[in-house]
Amino acid sequence: MLVVQLKTEDELRLKIADNKVFIIECLGCQDVYFPNKEVDEYIRSLEKQVIARVRLDYLCNRDYASAYIKAYDKQIQKAQIVLVISCGVGMQVISSLLDHKIVYTCCDTLYLNGFQGLSAQPFDCYQCGECYLNYTGGVCPLTNCPKELINGPCGGARDGKCEVNPDADCAWAVIYERLYKLNKLDIVKKILKPRDHSRIISQSLSRERIKR
Amino acid sequence: METKLIDYTKFSLKPAEEIHEIVDRVENIFILSCAKCYQLFEREAGEDYFTLLGLLGEDTKKIAGHAQIDFLCNNILSEKAISSLDLSGCSAVGVISCGLGIQFVAHLLEGKPVYAMADSVPQSANSTSGIGYHGISLEQEKCAACGQCYLNATGGICPMIDCAKGLLNGPCGGARDGKCEVDPSLDCAWVKIYERIGNRGEQLTLGDTRIHDYSKPALQLKNDLSTLNNKLRNEGFYGGLHPLEEKQQTEHLAIEKFPEPEEVVIFLSQHTGKKASPMVQPGDYVRVGQKIAGADGFISASIHSSVSGKVVSIEERIHPVLQRRELAVVIENDRENSLDSHCKPNSDFKKLSVKSLLDIVRESGIVGLGGAMFPTQVKLAPPKKVDTLLVNGCECEPFLNGDNRIMIERPQDIIIGIGLLKKILGVNRTIIGVENNKADAITSFKGVLKNSAVELLRLNTKYPQGAEKMLIKKILGREVPSGGLPFDVGVIVSNVGTILAVYDAVVQGIPLYKRVITVSGEDMSRPGNYLVKIGTPLKEIIQYCFDGDIEDIFTKYDLKMGGPMMGIIQTSLDSSVIKGTSGLTLLKRSPVQLSEDNDCIKCGRCVDVCPMELHPHYYAFYGKKAELGRADDYNVMDCIECRSCEYICSAKLPLMSFIKREKEYARSTVKN
Repeated sequence: MLVVQLKTEDELRLKIADNKVFIIECLGCQDVYFPNKEVDEYIRSLEKQVIARVRLDYLCNRDYASAYIKAYDKQIQKAQIVLVISCGVGMQVISSLLDHKIVYTCCDTLYLNGFQGLSAQPFDCYQCGECYLNYTGGVCPLTNCPKELINGPCGGARDGKCEVNPDADCAWAVIYERLYKLNKLDIVKKILKPRDHSRIISQSLSRERIKR
Repeated sequence: METKLIDYTKFSLKPAEEIHEIVDRVENIFILSCAKCYQLFEREAGEDYFTLLGLLGEDTKKIAGHAQIDFLCNNILSEKAISSLDLSGCSAVGVISCGLGIQFVAHLLEGKPVYAMADSVPQSANSTSGIGYHGISLEQEKCAACGQCYLNATGGICPMIDCAKGLLNGPCGGARDGKCEVDPSLDCAWVKIYERIGNRGEQLTLGDTRIHDYSKPALQLKNDLSTLNNKLRNEGFYGGLHPLEEKQQTEHLAIEKFPEPEEVVIFLSQHTGKKASPMVQPGDYVRVGQKIAGADGFISASIHSSVSGKVVSIEERIHPVLQRRELAVVIENDRENSLDSHCKPNSDFKKLSVKSLLDIVRESGIVGLGGAMFPTQVKLAPPKKVDTLLVNGCECEPFLNGDNRIMIERPQDIIIGIGLLKKILGVNRTIIGVENNKADAITSFKGVLKNSAVELLRLNTKYPQGAEKMLIKKILGREVPSGGLPFDVGVIVSNVGTILAVYDAVVQGIPLYKRVITVSGEDMSRPGNYLVKIGTPLKEIIQYCFDGDIEDIFTKYDLKMGGPMMGIIQTSLDSSVIKGTSGLTLLKRSPVQLSEDNDCIKCGRCVDVCPMELHPHYYAFYGKKAELGRADDYNVMDCIECRSCEYICSAKLPLMSFIKREKEYARSTVKN
């Protein structure tokens, strides 16, 4: 899930100065989380600089984005800067379509636990390409342990709480309890090989490209 | 279209030896597989399970069972699906899914060994970078979600993703002929950045050095946002969404009487059930409030004239909801407004018996004004005992303010109306539900509710909260069973508009011949909340409220009867206002239109928002293949037509038309 935060006003002012802007706002994932109020306030503060503000959806889809740009071509021509309010993907698509126009984004992007599109989940997947969940009672050591330890705890936990973030439980304490309940504590005795970080790249390469 | 899409499936089966290792360890195993996401929706069943069977050979007998679940990571729906499975006979559960699904199942089935049968596949689809989240569609661009966007400095090309080394301050110097030294099939990201910026006449500013802040985005912030999101999503009922409210245009405009129409077109079908049978003939003189068509059968409603004048004809016009030709009584307005002799106020209404109250409701042709248009007298005589009356003042539909205004302007009358309904139903508990974006309505109710047993609830906004099944779940936590009605759980839900119509009928003696509608939308010159006579042609309303070229209404805009979500697109200005019309909304037509030719990419958004917990993507899947009847396996008849799925669909599929087609088919097969 990609969600956005508005950049600081100082940073934006530096970029935009007193140029005329055309604002494209993406409503696609907005339903998930979006700083609507802040965006409204910011756009109001631009006042007369705004040529138009359009609210569209799924800028990340290149076909839609091209259709939008075509439809609003005249207004875009009038503006010196196109401002995009969307995640980094939408911004990159618009920017690549408007090769000769200055395109700026107003947002910093972050992601929520769980993948894009499906609603936020209490769990997160690291997508390491070599799932460890069989050794850890179904608790991911990569996303739950800040040190990403795969062969047991670091030893820094206090009262079952993580030393990096004392609000969170120590992942390995949770794993131990889960395996204890399952009567499978022997699993943790197995020492796992170091992580193969190259899998992240080699596996993602294998994705099929499909023709529509 | 010749666009190349990327298959962003999140997992693949583990290598054979690991699978054998797992299966050797267990006595028997139940397999749960996820139906996958982010790939073209071409097959119903995932092939992974069959690959697994092939791998296992002899060991297949160890498989205790198999179930495929759509979007296994969707913890709410999957929990229901998994708890309906019988897992008692198996000693372990194997999950074919990405890490999210596996963790979720392991968490849910704590105490049973859960095995990962698949490895996740990184999303980046990039030969030089492992990071990157794709958007909703299956395009190439990725976002690192780093929380410190560099795109403003780099012409919209991400140096984190596109540069193999993730350099933020210019190229490494290893590029040859503009190609990356790590993967020579790729362009050097910094060459691309330099060119893009040059094209735009900007200067590449490399002066201030950028250092990546790896503590961003803060873990806590991310977790907080995820929790908040989950909370908003599931508040009261599953799914739903928060479309832009756009109520500010008309929320402070008082109800205004719409000018007298030249003629009225009163349809004989303005309610659920059998259409009314006409009681007048062309040439007859009718008065305001005179019954011109009688209810035909149990589920039907009478219809009254809204003007005085001569009946010109009874002819077919385009019905605004059904969008086909239907019979309507056309009456010329003589502007005399002479009232029918039956329409007399009744100051002794408190003494009326339940039976005579119901008779008045029936004779006045009252139907549910929220949009469903179900005859009210039928609703008020439920076959089961009910204990609660819910008064629906949500008006969750964007743009509309009709209910809001009557709550602000006539709270006292609504309270008297509630009293009448309570008497008819014999209930003790009454709750008014109002969304918290209607502060004025809440204040006005508070003023009249002092020392009253009626409860007033402020509800956080969420669409479609005003749907009765959602409202019951939100306020009372009761779930209407599939195919059931609110009285099955002891509740009757009534819209504030309907209650006011009951008040008008009983106390003022006025049958239902006028109602409040909100006329608004983009480019509407005179938006407002108008008290209009039923039968007022759309043409007169548009002429009065819209200064633009009327020709444009059907070319540049979508004119919807109702709000933008549930409203029905109009095709003719000869249609007229009917009892269920809550408003007229003019919306600019989007440059990208819905199309049945688009491809579902299983982004899961529709499943995510469906308040009835259905799987709308299957309706499109079967609809496109013209396999009518299959959607019934996915409970298409439970759909409340709130259009949330269509609104959110990233492929822009006209899901609602697929659903309507399926429902029509299902109804026709039941009859035969």
